[in-house]
Amino acid sequence: MTIVNHNEKIDTVNVVIDGIEMEVPKGTLVIRAAEQIGIEIPRFCDHPLLTPVAACRACLIEIDGVPKPQPACAQVLSEGMNVRTQRSSEMARIAQEGVMEFLLVNHPLDCPVCDKGGECPLQNQAMTVGRPDSRFEGEKRTFPKPINVNAEILLDRERCVSCARCTRFAEEIAGDASLELLERGAQQQVGTANDEPFDSYFSGNVVQICPVGALTSASYRFRSRPFDLVSVPTTCEHCASGCSLRTDYRRGTVTRRLAWDDPEVNEDWSCDKGRFAFAYLANGRIESPLIRENGELRSASWPEAMHFAAAGLAAAGTSAVLVGGRATVEDAYAYSKFARIVLGTDNLDFRARASSTEEAEFLAAHVAGRKLDVTYTDIETASQVLLIGFEPEDESPILFLRLRKGVKRGVSVHTVGPLYSLGSEKLSAHWVKAKAGSEAHAISGLDSEIVGALDSNSIIFVGERAAASPGALSAVSRLGSQTGARIAWVPRRAGERGALDAGAIAGLLPGGRPISDPTARSEVAQAWNIDADSLPNVGLTGTELVTAIKQGSTSALVIAGVDPSDLPNGDELIAGIENADFVVALENHHSEITQRASVVFPVAVVTEKSGSFMNWEGRSKPFSAAFREALTLTDAGVLSMLASAMNVQLNGDTRALRKELNSLVPWSGPRTDVNNHEVHAPAGTTLATWRLLIDSGVMQEGEPHLAATARPSVVAVSAAMFEQLGKPEVITVTGPKGSITLPTQVAEVSNESVWLPMNSPESHIYAQLGCGYGQAVTVKGGAA
Amino acid sequence: MITESTRIKMRELAGRYPNPRSALLPMLHLVQAEQDEVTTEGIAACAQELEITQAEVTAVATFYTMYKHSPVGKHHIGVCINTLCGLLGGDAVYDRVAERLGATHNGPSADGNFWLERIECQAACTHAPVMTVDWEFMDDVTPQSAVDVIDKLAAGEEVWSTRGPMIRDFQATEHTLAMAEDDLATIGNCVDEKMLAGLKIAKSGAQQ
Amino acid sequence: MPELPAAVRGFGVTFGTIFKKVVTEQYPEDSSKYPPKPRFHGRHQLNRWADGLEKCIGCELCAWACPADAIFVQGADNSDEERYSPGERYGRVYQINYTRCIFCGLCIEACPTRALTMTNEFELADNNRADLIYEKQDLLGPMLPGMLAPPHDMVPGTTDSDYYANKITGSVPQQSTPQQSTPQQGGVA
Repeated sequence: MTIVNHNEKIDTVNVVIDGIEMEVPKGTLVIRAAEQIGIEIPRFCDHPLLTPVAACRACLIEIDGVPKPQPACAQVLSEGMNVRTQRSSEMARIAQEGVMEFLLVNHPLDCPVCDKGGECPLQNQAMTVGRPDSRFEGEKRTFPKPINVNAEILLDRERCVSCARCTRFAEEIAGDASLELLERGAQQQVGTANDEPFDSYFSGNVVQICPVGALTSASYRFRSRPFDLVSVPTTCEHCASGCSLRTDYRRGTVTRRLAWDDPEVNEDWSCDKGRFAFAYLANGRIESPLIRENGELRSASWPEAMHFAAAGLAAAGTSAVLVGGRATVEDAYAYSKFARIVLGTDNLDFRARASSTEEAEFLAAHVAGRKLDVTYTDIETASQVLLIGFEPEDESPILFLRLRKGVKRGVSVHTVGPLYSLGSEKLSAHWVKAKAGSEAHAISGLDSEIVGALDSNSIIFVGERAAASPGALSAVSRLGSQTGARIAWVPRRAGERGALDAGAIAGLLPGGRPISDPTARSEVAQAWNIDADSLPNVGLTGTELVTAIKQGSTSALVIAGVDPSDLPNGDELIAGIENADFVVALENHHSEITQRASVVFPVAVVTEKSGSFMNWEGRSKPFSAAFREALTLTDAGVLSMLASAMNVQLNGDTRALRKELNSLVPWSGPRTDVNNHEVHAPAGTTLATWRLLIDSGVMQEGEPHLAATARPSVVAVSAAMFEQLGKPEVITVTGPKGSITLPTQVAEVSNESVWLPMNSPESHIYAQLGCGYGQAVTVKGGAA
Repeated sequence: MITESTRIKMRELAGRYPNPRSALLPMLHLVQAEQDEVTTEGIAACAQELEITQAEVTAVATFYTMYKHSPVGKHHIGVCINTLCGLLGGDAVYDRVAERLGATHNGPSADGNFWLERIECQAACTHAPVMTVDWEFMDDVTPQSAVDVIDKLAAGEEVWSTRGPMIRDFQATEHTLAMAEDDLATIGNCVDEKMLAGLKIAKSGAQQ
Repeated sequence: MPELPAAVRGFGVTFGTIFKKVVTEQYPEDSSKYPPKPRFHGRHQLNRWADGLEKCIGCELCAWACPADAIFVQGADNSDEERYSPGERYGRVYQINYTRCIFCGLCIEACPTRALTMTNEFELADNNRADLIYEKQDLLGPMLPGMLAPPHDMVPGTTDSDYYANKITGSVPQQSTPQQSTPQQGGVA
């Protein structure tokens, strides 16, 4: 028989499970089919996203005509099969009871001290299908405990039931096969090699999928019990992957975060940053508004600070708004409106990082207002994937997992860049070698074979780093129109894609509407209930905006979520802020900016507000507040109060803002294509750099175990350069401002580039070198 | 230390298989041939040559009991204690040998020159009880003959397998196991009348 | 016989009672004369092992069992430098809210280490709510002879299993010396 689904014929088989007749697609496993009709078969090793191994034997069922019980998790249904589970078969019931008794032979009775207690599949299934008591009278096996498989993950081997979920995850999903089943028989145990920890950005997932308490995390160990916790679904704020997470909190403190199943986005997984980096939510928060009086910041009441800020902004000259990448879509939209309506300026940018005019043009032409052009699911069936200025494992780890899934299904990946990374290796990617900063050359000079293979089923992923490589984005744009390949832009920060669509960048109104287009202006003016003529003209972005602030032509500033050390010209911004007439900062933690601001408003973090993030696909990922009782205001709330202090009405309600933004449907009018930008790669050795997933980022503070899993800070050079430098143990890289000396790592790097982590301990590129990606540096063997 | 010449041998082994990973078992024997045990360094070398993780190599090296994780010494002594050998005196042989060596199961002798192990069936039940020295057969041993063999080995005297080549040492055997380039398999009487007796009876149809 | 007037008859009870033994107990003046019954459910106590280490492992089973949600526990890691109980885990925060507690005793039934028991103390009145939340230091049992105030090491050469098997009879002098870093205690023997 066949079912027709999405015009696609699917072969099916007719089976009977516990007397219930079913028709299921061919290839369905017994355990999956039983789930569909609400029959729960016990299981430990079975996981829908991992290959079946039938390692734990807990799911034994009876099949008519088969003499012995069979594992339901590995048994594929075939036509006419009559399956009987523990509900209708004595054989299955006894078999399951026997397996459970065996599994419990070596399992310690330490549930009171075990973190899994209360949410443990072994506890639950021992109660439902196990025997009431054990006949085992010997000594249980014990191991020294716990041992670290890496700095964050702890292993209690005596609790393990050898289901191999963790080892299969490590190998199949993450591609980090450094967690394995060692020894044999009664001594079988999960472990790592002697001197090689389980080095993975996804290690936290093994804690979540462990069906017993064998794998636990150092950060959650003994912190609480499941019944203490309130669980709320959230969206991860750490990157643009847009993972659904579950935040568990106890009495106003987040105790842990877990991956939430979202088949369209993160499936069942999350990266370690998303899972473990949440201490910043509580630590070191700004608690009340601060105003500067006689050069010193002092606490002030909200009304006092509002009036102070309103008067300051009104008195100052031309103003600008800088929104960092942490804003939710609604908050970014509020900034976008606040700048245009209240401050009457279009000097606005959300890109608190290296950016370019070329990038702004690229975003307007290809990204803004274009939702779900390319999705995660598309990756699985793409023909070719091209990665340009993008390191998925570090910059969008869940996208990296999906790429791996695609690669297993035959997708071929090409990466254009200066370094063939560990991540590229795990994707079996083909390396298009490019000197850092001259990606444009590499793209225009791509092999005709690769270009020929690109079609409308191919995807070009461009990272935010491409902005630092002159000409790269226009080359991508040309390649896209030449081959029909779809282009997806993957920023690093969670708020950037949403801020773009909310119009938090000069030249673009919400929905990707060009501010210079009369139709676009009138559409927005209507939605905002203002006169189209009162909308400002195109303002400044990026570097130009920072220069204008420094030179004083822009003298008032509203700034939120910006860390000057993320900007290539951060020093200029700090100088500008020091000279500015008035600076309003909206922040949750103190920074270089708040230290110099005229007034500081504390704002809510993700657990205290509702909102949404838009991930790289353009998918809206709404979330609600975990702490509903929190009194902190959102950025939009503060801006609304500030606006009303300046006699302008601006709705600050998240839901109303979302509704209004959604009413501004994406722009369908004409878009200007990217200009052909001049390509100029600096001569000599150039700097290749990006942020590692686990690094010195401010949102990762306060979690030492996570920090200890970071990859070491090294200087990566090619074998040829290593020889040329005289095989030094350490290498010194020098830029205009200073130098960095780090241990050498010989890797597959372009001979004309040298790679350093961008913001890791001992390697803060902008602060220490004073230059950025693709710029000339000098390289020397040995210390400075 | 794993020398460059060992690594060349490893690469040669890896080249013998369509999937290089298949060479892991002989490569681990090669590590034992070089280092008398599977060392962390040897595991790292195998991992590096096969481009797999050290954990994957460790998983294999700890699964199979022929890989040892501390120095074996000069000779490996195995005594079969499975049903037939055990009944015909294997257990007694094991006890005497253990006493002579001052060793326990899967551990070194007191002087560190021998390694004792209770082994499972070697498919040599016709000559039970069986002892192996560096995996060569010593057929029809008695507690006394077994100890004699060990005394001779300890004294550095020449000892021959009852049906194979002269005993060399553990590391030499491991090298043979890694890459059998010698003709040791052809030395001695691999098959004798006793072993074929059952087959002959079966063929003659006497059992029917 | 004529009946006595009702008013006089009523005094019969009064006069009769004057000469009976008084059943009124003078509380609080004579409270020591009338101790509660031995199995009376009074204030809780967190017990100690004979060497002074705490029995509580912070497992929260008491809090789970509590029908009145009166118990709050937060566990934490013992370390070699700072050890409060044998084994890996101890109760860092332990609170019982006596405005909620109904003295049912389900918590002491749930306790896997016999850390929580109930005393006979019933005088738990106060004039404010905050003081009726008893903290760990209010609930911990007294230091008896042979006990040493934690944090300190386990008795050298013993494991948590020896504690659970009640093999510890008291502290030894080595436990009072500053804690030296010992290798991680192995699994249960």
